[in-house]
Amino acid sequence: MSPEFIRNFSIVAHIDHGKSTLADQLLLRTGAITEREFKEQLLDDLDVERERGITVKARAVAIDYIPDAERWPGLAAHLKCAAKPGKPPTFELNLIDTPGHVDFHYEVSRSLAACEGALLLVDAFQGVQAQTVANAYAAVEAGLEIVPVINKIDLPVTRIDEVLDEIETVIGLDATDALMVSAKQGIGIEEVFEAIITRIPPPQGDPKAPLRALVFDSKYDTFRGVITYVRIMEGTLKKGEKIRFMKGGTVHDALEVGRFRPGMEPCNSLGPGQTGYVITGVKEVVHVHVGDTLTMQGEQAAVALPGYKQPQQMVFCGMYPTDATDFEKLREELERMSLNDASFSFSPETSDALGFGFRCGFLGMLHMEIIQQRLEHEADVGLIQTAPNVTYEIKKQRTGEVLHIDNPVDVPESGDIEEFREPIARVNFILPSSNIGIIMQLCEDRRGTYKATEYLGPDRAQLIYELPLAEIIYDMHDKLKSATRGYGTMDYDIIGFRPADLVKLDIMVKGVKVEALAMIVHRDFAERRGRQLVKRLKKEISKHQFEIALQAAIGTRVIARETISALRKNVTAKCYGGDITRKRKLLAKQKEGKKRMKQFGQVEIPQKAFLSVLEAGNEE
Amino acid sequence: MTDPFASPRAAYVHVPFCRHRCGYCDFPLIAGRDDLIGEYLKALELELATVEGRPEIDTLFYGGGTPTHLPPVKLRSLFALLRRTFALAADAEVSVEANPLDLDDQRIAVLVEAGVTRVSLGAQSFDASSLKVLERDHCPEDIADVTARLGRQGLCNRSVDLIFGVPGQSLPQWVQSLDAAVSLGVEHISTYGLTYEKGTSFWKRRDRGGLNPVEEETERAMYAAAMDLLPAAGFEPYELSNFARDQFRCRHNQVYWQGASYFAFGPGAARYVGGIRSTNHRSVTTWLKRVLAGVSAIAESEELTREQRARELVMLGLRQTVGIDVSEFAERTGFPLRELAPAAFDRFIADGLMEEGGGHVRLSREGRFLADTVIAEFL
Repeated sequence: MSPEFIRNFSIVAHIDHGKSTLADQLLLRTGAITEREFKEQLLDDLDVERERGITVKARAVAIDYIPDAERWPGLAAHLKCAAKPGKPPTFELNLIDTPGHVDFHYEVSRSLAACEGALLLVDAFQGVQAQTVANAYAAVEAGLEIVPVINKIDLPVTRIDEVLDEIETVIGLDATDALMVSAKQGIGIEEVFEAIITRIPPPQGDPKAPLRALVFDSKYDTFRGVITYVRIMEGTLKKGEKIRFMKGGTVHDALEVGRFRPGMEPCNSLGPGQTGYVITGVKEVVHVHVGDTLTMQGEQAAVALPGYKQPQQMVFCGMYPTDATDFEKLREELERMSLNDASFSFSPETSDALGFGFRCGFLGMLHMEIIQQRLEHEADVGLIQTAPNVTYEIKKQRTGEVLHIDNPVDVPESGDIEEFREPIARVNFILPSSNIGIIMQLCEDRRGTYKATEYLGPDRAQLIYELPLAEIIYDMHDKLKSATRGYGTMDYDIIGFRPADLVKLDIMVKGVKVEALAMIVHRDFAERRGRQLVKRLKKEISKHQFEIALQAAIGTRVIARETISALRKNVTAKCYGGDITRKRKLLAKQKEGKKRMKQFGQVEIPQKAFLSVLEAGNEE
Repeated sequence: MTDPFASPRAAYVHVPFCRHRCGYCDFPLIAGRDDLIGEYLKALELELATVEGRPEIDTLFYGGGTPTHLPPVKLRSLFALLRRTFALAADAEVSVEANPLDLDDQRIAVLVEAGVTRVSLGAQSFDASSLKVLERDHCPEDIADVTARLGRQGLCNRSVDLIFGVPGQSLPQWVQSLDAAVSLGVEHISTYGLTYEKGTSFWKRRDRGGLNPVEEETERAMYAAAMDLLPAAGFEPYELSNFARDQFRCRHNQVYWQGASYFAFGPGAARYVGGIRSTNHRSVTTWLKRVLAGVSAIAESEELTREQRARELVMLGLRQTVGIDVSEFAERTGFPLRELAPAAFDRFIADGLMEEGGGHVRLSREGRFLADTVIAEFL
């Protein structure tokens, strides 16, 4: 197909602004899916995505679009190509869906790099939100033609004029020609198609040039191995040829080449501007790097496409089977997850408290939650998840060696640390102006650095802060939602590592250090966290025959202490005829409960105590 | 005598009536429904009819509830029912639990006439404020009065129950109650640390913060006071909560602690017959309905394994001051005592919670304060 009849585009939007519905409506209108399939929200095919209303993994679909014959002459005049009026031609529209969340920022940028344009979808009532901004900026950065689309115009209450203003002031786009749509009701859909073919430029590229294809996604298929999603930038990808991943450096046969319509449909070749897939027999997604360039083996002139990056995991947590005998099962499940998600990693670890489990790395909090939920839904394994922590950098004294720390246990002695660095995020809040004060306070309390405030209208504002990622991951989102009664949104971008006065907080139970409870905190907060921790532990550890000191310490300096007094009296008064069975069972149960405790020195600590300290969402 | 498979020589009868349900009480009883007494006696007769022959027993215990809440006529019928069911051995112990205020001369006469040998009074405290917290209807003076009248009628095996750890109760107040009990001249004293049972109003009030349990240290001191004071006054401890003058130990309760078999009748009553522990429905009305309909009143039953019997015997044995006769235990159960929990056994001996001597293993004085901690390890 000639590139002039191809359009590659994305839809970018904040969560719940109707991206999937619009995508499905486009598919429905062109007959790519049926009415019934439309109702089942086709594009998001992971359960978790549907549940959360967001797209996690990018998907691509090719749509055949034939313009309305009567309107065609008028449209043709606006085309940025040499198409002639007369019988309307068939356009190949490739919709490349992007994951909407910042955790997948890199994947978003690669998907956008596969497009020439984007529909910026904005809810007619909610207006511009944090992810609208983040995604729109990403599209601008990728040099895309952006078509603003106001969705949900059928809502009983809309703020269309204000929303248009917000698009102009916040994102800096001309909103004059914004489209008015209700994806749900099918209003304005034809106009969307027409804008795609007239306003989004066709791809460029010489079919005879050496092959350069952008890998923008991959997925694992149990039967066929890895399916690599490609956008042909130049040259032609032919079935049966030997192909090479330029960064990965591996060579494979192009066993099958095809397009998504939306199911996989094999074809002989893909030309410049086209989007589709190639199956190479690669078995693991980790060998197919998003952002890599695919070329023909032996092609000389090919230069790798710009922008390739290794995904960087920023958030880590431990995952342990509730039942120790499920360890192998959990490993299998994690392997299955990683087959389809190259940005997820895991390695075995042992915890004094929780036994055998895995340390897992994620792009961000959402990524972590998604994996965890999928494990819960798809795998029959009870999970214990420890509190997430970010990855730190430590520059060592003398050697100057830089360590990447994703587990507090690995922090070296303080004397060996020259510099302790933590990841910093630039956080963009969009919220009602009346809530600015409370959110600023929240950020200040979390070591934030104020950057800017911008008013988007009479009662909405954008607030920008730089915050340590560690301070965001616990509960920032929840706090924002409750402080703004759900009206505030946030988005963040990691901007680098900065030195900070960080310390490892150790917990000692009757003089014995419990590594599983150690954490990395800022020195200024260490005392407060330490106090919280020992207080919480005190509630969970039952009295012993002796006094138990619970201490939080930095190095050898104790900063918080609680004492569990010795058990002085534990005797049931009555044990007559009717009490015997009940009492025997009660005490037997107590003894059974002790089996599930972990022994530290002389002290028995129930698993629940670890969880109350470690588990996510326990900040007070 | 202690063979659980032997035919029982003890029987318990539960009389589930009270004027008022006290805030701490979770016994099977129904307050303010005296209209059910007739039905109860009818049902009890049916339940007693399941006993074959007219076996001889050594001990008979009427508990409650408050057996003496029954009007004298009904009380007499109750005793008659039991006399028809069981033959009493010549020196049989017949105990009745009583509320001090109920025991008018008429009822005492009924007890004497029926051959009751022992009366256990729900005195609970000699301190008016504690009695009020406990929702008891008597005052301290009533206790002295009733014990004296019992004595005059020849009932000279009298026990009083006392509760310590009542919210608001001080250590001196408790010691005063102990002194008062001793000076009554009774033969037996039981001391119970107050427990908060699920479903009671005390439990709810404590949860809502309306009732403050005494400090653990105070409670311990109260228990210690009983263990010091009562023996000094001639009451020997023979079980964790029980103290008796010479010859006045409750024989019926010792049947329980020795792991012997016993019959039981009435709502919520628990029996141990043929190696099976079973318990009747706790709801008085359910028990009534089922028995009157000719259906079994048993709600739960459990046949203990050999090992369970052994472990249970440790629980009961350690609660007794005499402790466990090591060789007899091994012979009877087939398990050497220590083998049931070797590590814990050694630790408790080393920690001084248990002591060995004279072929027995028993809780030390310190061990009595932590009896449940020790016992749990053997279960």
